[in-house]
Amino acid sequence: MVNVTLDGKKIQVEEGTTILQAADKLDVKIPTLCYHPLLDPYAACRVCVVEASVKGKTDLVTSCNTKVLEGMEVKTASERALKARKLNVEMLMAQAPAAEPVKEIAKELGITKTRFEIKDPNEKCILCGLCVRTCTDVVGAEAISFIERGKDRTVAPPFNEPSEACIGCTACAYFCPTQAIVFEDKYGREIIHDELHLGPVTAIRVPIRQAVPMVPFIDKDACIHFKTEQCKLCEKVCEPEAINHAMEDEVMEIDVGSIIIATGYDIFDAKKNAVYGYGRLDNVLSGLDFERLCNAGGPTGGNILLKDGRKPESVAILHCVGSRDRNYNEWCSRVCCMYAMKFAHLVREKTGAKVHEFYIDIRAFGKGYEEFYNRLMEEDVIFIRGKGAEVTDVAETPEEEGKLVVVCEDTLLGLVRRVPVDMVLLGNGLEPRRDADEIARKFNIGCSHEGFFLERHPKLGPVHTASDGIFLAGACQGPKDIPDTVAQAGAAASEAMAMADRGTFELEPITSFINEELCGACKTCVALCPYTAITFDEEKNVSVVEEALCKGCGTCVAACPAGAATQHGFDDEEMFAEIEGALSVV
Amino acid sequence: MDSANFEPRIVGFLCRWCSYTGADLAGTSRMKYPPNLVPIRVMCSGRVDPTFVIKALKEGADGVLIAGCHPGDCHYTSGNFRTLGRYTLLQIMLEQLGVEKGRVKLEWVSASEGDKWARVVKEITEEVRKLGALNWDGVVEQTKQEVAECADEKVKI
Amino acid sequence: MEEKEKAYRLHLMVCAGTGCVSNHAFEIKGALEKEIKKQSLENEVLVVTTGCNGFCERGPLLVVQPGNIFYQQLTEKDIPHLVEEHFLKGRPVQKLMYTPPKEKTPIPVLSDIDFFKGQVLIALRNRGLIDPEKIEEYIARDGYTAMAKALNEMTPEGIIEEIKKSGLRGRGGAGFPTGVKWEYVRNAPSTNGGVKYLVCNGDEGDPGAFMDRSILEADPHSVIEGMVIGAKAIGASEGFVYVRNEYPLALSRLNLALKQAREYGLLGKDILGSGFNFDIKVHRGAGAFVCGEETALLHSLEGRLGEPRPRPPYPAEKGLRDQPTCINNVETWANVPVIISRGANWYSSIGTKTSKGTKVFSLVGKINNTGLVEVPMGISLKEIIYNIGGGIPEGKEFKAVQTGGPSGGCIPKEKIDLPIDFESLTEAGSMMGSGGMVVMDEDTCMVDVARYFLSFTQDESCGKCTPCREGTKAMLSILTRITEGKGTEGDLVLLRDLAESIKDSALCGLGNTAPNPVLTTMQYFMEEYETHIKDKKCPARVCRQLNTYIVDENTCVKDGRGCDLCKRNCATDAILGEKGKAHRVVQEKCIKCGVCYDVCNFNAVKIE
Repeated sequence: MVNVTLDGKKIQVEEGTTILQAADKLDVKIPTLCYHPLLDPYAACRVCVVEASVKGKTDLVTSCNTKVLEGMEVKTASERALKARKLNVEMLMAQAPAAEPVKEIAKELGITKTRFEIKDPNEKCILCGLCVRTCTDVVGAEAISFIERGKDRTVAPPFNEPSEACIGCTACAYFCPTQAIVFEDKYGREIIHDELHLGPVTAIRVPIRQAVPMVPFIDKDACIHFKTEQCKLCEKVCEPEAINHAMEDEVMEIDVGSIIIATGYDIFDAKKNAVYGYGRLDNVLSGLDFERLCNAGGPTGGNILLKDGRKPESVAILHCVGSRDRNYNEWCSRVCCMYAMKFAHLVREKTGAKVHEFYIDIRAFGKGYEEFYNRLMEEDVIFIRGKGAEVTDVAETPEEEGKLVVVCEDTLLGLVRRVPVDMVLLGNGLEPRRDADEIARKFNIGCSHEGFFLERHPKLGPVHTASDGIFLAGACQGPKDIPDTVAQAGAAASEAMAMADRGTFELEPITSFINEELCGACKTCVALCPYTAITFDEEKNVSVVEEALCKGCGTCVAACPAGAATQHGFDDEEMFAEIEGALSVV
Repeated sequence: MDSANFEPRIVGFLCRWCSYTGADLAGTSRMKYPPNLVPIRVMCSGRVDPTFVIKALKEGADGVLIAGCHPGDCHYTSGNFRTLGRYTLLQIMLEQLGVEKGRVKLEWVSASEGDKWARVVKEITEEVRKLGALNWDGVVEQTKQEVAECADEKVKI
Repeated sequence: MEEKEKAYRLHLMVCAGTGCVSNHAFEIKGALEKEIKKQSLENEVLVVTTGCNGFCERGPLLVVQPGNIFYQQLTEKDIPHLVEEHFLKGRPVQKLMYTPPKEKTPIPVLSDIDFFKGQVLIALRNRGLIDPEKIEEYIARDGYTAMAKALNEMTPEGIIEEIKKSGLRGRGGAGFPTGVKWEYVRNAPSTNGGVKYLVCNGDEGDPGAFMDRSILEADPHSVIEGMVIGAKAIGASEGFVYVRNEYPLALSRLNLALKQAREYGLLGKDILGSGFNFDIKVHRGAGAFVCGEETALLHSLEGRLGEPRPRPPYPAEKGLRDQPTCINNVETWANVPVIISRGANWYSSIGTKTSKGTKVFSLVGKINNTGLVEVPMGISLKEIIYNIGGGIPEGKEFKAVQTGGPSGGCIPKEKIDLPIDFESLTEAGSMMGSGGMVVMDEDTCMVDVARYFLSFTQDESCGKCTPCREGTKAMLSILTRITEGKGTEGDLVLLRDLAESIKDSALCGLGNTAPNPVLTTMQYFMEEYETHIKDKKCPARVCRQLNTYIVDENTCVKDGRGCDLCKRNCATDAILGEKGKAHRVVQEKCIKCGVCYDVCNFNAVKIE
């Protein structure tokens, strides 16, 4: 520990502390420009100069890089220090008149205008080197540097041309204290830290605000460290040392007794059906978009707003987007009617806007659902029986100007109607997961023709699959709402538990075996068995079937040239008898 | 007996996981297809020994359908590939014997393809109907004769 | 090799320093050889090229040994006569010898000439005596004996102790005690398995200074020897010489010397069987003045942008590649072998109490004997300027001397008795610097001098820190304003504030010392600044914007001249008049370019 006196106040700090850090502990403010706590001190702006005396020797030093010494006496605002500081700030005012931080410090120091020649009144760069140091020391890309010297010094990429070395991380702009760096990518590469837009913005983030557990993660594709092997600023600032860049994705093998597949569903992409204008017209939102908009943790804090920030005065909700539609998915997605009606309720409650629901049929089939439907009608939600045919922003009448128009055939009135609204919400249907095929193959289960996983029996085995020990739960098996999913999941869990709890496993009595007397030791069967259930006994010179491994496909039986391989329940005689029997009927 | 009134008898060997379930689905889906095919369930199409086909033809079947999982989807990983190999060889042999190609068929029908199952049965029934009844004894006779001729000419097969 | 075994009657030492080479020294050498052959003297007379002799003003130079006969300002035409008279007939040619100004009798012997008489040669001990491209000649002058002694007989601590005792201080400018620096480096821990580096700073950038270049050209082996001794002392195995690329002759001689030293086993592995390994690499600098600053030099050496960083940590602690590094200037290294071979006591007997030994100065400017001189510390300015330098040409009056280059200051004639050592120069507001010495006479405008040096530092500032980058620019603009007659009294206050603040708050030595020329000229020549501002006049008539050009009509038409030359040369037609008649300057049109003044052959154009 080192004892120092700073502006008359005594303080004990650790060895290696800089004057600036010591001053910070005493809440003494020393202005800085080129200093950043995460970067090595550069000592170039000379604004943080202070007067420091040690052992009778007094000097003007920069506080950002000068380490305190035992018995040092520091005056942060002595006449000498202030004189130099003021002049340096005044000179910077002339060099970069548009730099806000310089203006602020000048104001604090009581400087109103500079006496020196101003070359460019719009200049913002104060040549503090934070960008260059960030690019070199932190990012490791070395895409920008100082070029020229003295009064001609500027920050630039090599040869003053857009640099291939630049990884587009925008860290330089982030560190720039004066916003002198403007980012524009000429190679069309991804800009990692695009702070200007909503959505995923940084390489470290929590997945969503309600995420459980609420733990941030590093997005490897966006993280600078995984591009240049440098940076690691997060490691520096994380006091509990919780960040480990060396961590790798791990493939773990876990032995289990049974598996429940609950891979869920994909939402129908409304862009596929261009008539709804999703992704093309403003204020046409998918069901999930609207959920995000409504969410108290969402971008508007739960306020339902149009893109321009206004509150909507009328909202249309379209049912069966991608469902019950021969062009897309033929099935009913089961949940859309109810969530569309929930949206209507939320819109009414939060904005009081007029709500139109465009439906084919209302399928309020669950407990309390029909009552909810009735309640909505009492809440003055307008139900129009007719599937939304088109959403357009082309106005045909003055009332439609600046609005979205939903076109539909009202089947109750027998009219084609045009309904102008401010916002359109789509009731997107449910689809099987894109990779359902792959999963099905992996687990040896089937998919029904629409792509949802196939249960063993629609009535007698709704959570079972064709493979023993593999069960289904939720929308991966077919569209269903939350209560149904919970019920199915419970059933699947108990089936799985029952199997695991038994501790033993019953094999179907259809395994193969080999008649040792007939076996000619050709080993054909050994190579055929997909389960390596057949081994060759060298001593006895015959093939042997391990019954626990045999799944009973019978491939070996059909292939055995000696007729030594036989399958319980499917031996040749039995098969022949069956064939005879099948053909004996006239 | 003209072909229009002829009702062929066809034996089907169906794998338990895909085709049999697919046939089940066709049934539960109330799909209509000819009743000429008698299904025999095996665990895997890989169990279908070519002798089963010969046996069926010998016992009076006019046609045989082997149905299994789609390639890559076999419940037993690779059984249907074995079937495919055996079926190709069997076709060559049956041709040499003088059995028309259309009488024995291999089809892939998955558990979700009830409609396909119905279609496949329809197709094979129609095809075999056109071919008429299989004269198995004739086939055997002719084969014996050919063998004898070969023996006379002292040709070694 | 054959010529080595021969004995020659005469050795002709032709100076081949850069100054003489540009004065056709090699043509002189060729002419000499041709003529000697013609006279069939080739077995009796040998022509040798040496490094810089120092008396550059009088080049090309030739010294005849034995006899130490000094010939100067030779031309190729003189050679046949010289060879025939002196080398064949034995009659030295008087008209080619040096005659001091205002005197009639030439001085034949080199050591009798005032320029050489007052000098004490340590760093330049071999100048003019050996061929720098032949290591044998260096060895013959006891070269590498000090190294052998240091490597085989002395401990590192012993070497450091000897250097400390000698009182040698860094010749690069700041005058830090060399032995103390070596001790720091020796004791500093290395983070890379004991690796330490040694660097020779040959980035000589001061305008008008050429000491380091001359040493490298005349005696590269002395630097190499000094570096090996230093390497043993601090425990380094790799050394670098940082030389600016503008010194092609120095570079080629240094590289040749390194090659020869390696061939002789004086560099590389197991030097002289002592088990000590050391080698030197040459790094060519691109000529940025700031790279003479040690931290900037190290950055440049590492291949990075040549700009300084804050100290501490000093290079002795964390230098090249973050390892302890000892940086000394060329002249310092050249002094080391002599101290080791002749002992610290002998060395410390030369000089003053705090500044020991000698210092090499490049004497330039308004002085008769321009050249390189090595003088003992403590010698007065007067002795250098008047005795060695031969005073001011054309009988003009001495005004001031600028020492230490752009970082130094101007010392006025009142202080001409100032003894030259580190402390008294600093006290006078100047500094030792690397040894530039620019003499100025009465025709020099001190404001213009300050402006000149500022324009140099402003141009050479790396631009890293605000005071240096912006401050030098601001000071230069004020000084330019003053020399153009647009200065105000407020400018002087601002100028002083700026100068003091920059000196106080700049990052490195370049910025810290950049205001020195301004501060010293303001201290000693304030009245000149005031005349510029108040009277809008330049007393020395250097600042042309302050001059008024008029034609003295009487002188112009005297003897019926009126030559019309000024009128014809005037770019703005500001001169009226006809041939044979008196001419006149129209002041409204005059842009004060001064051409009329320069072209008038009769001094009819006057400045008011």
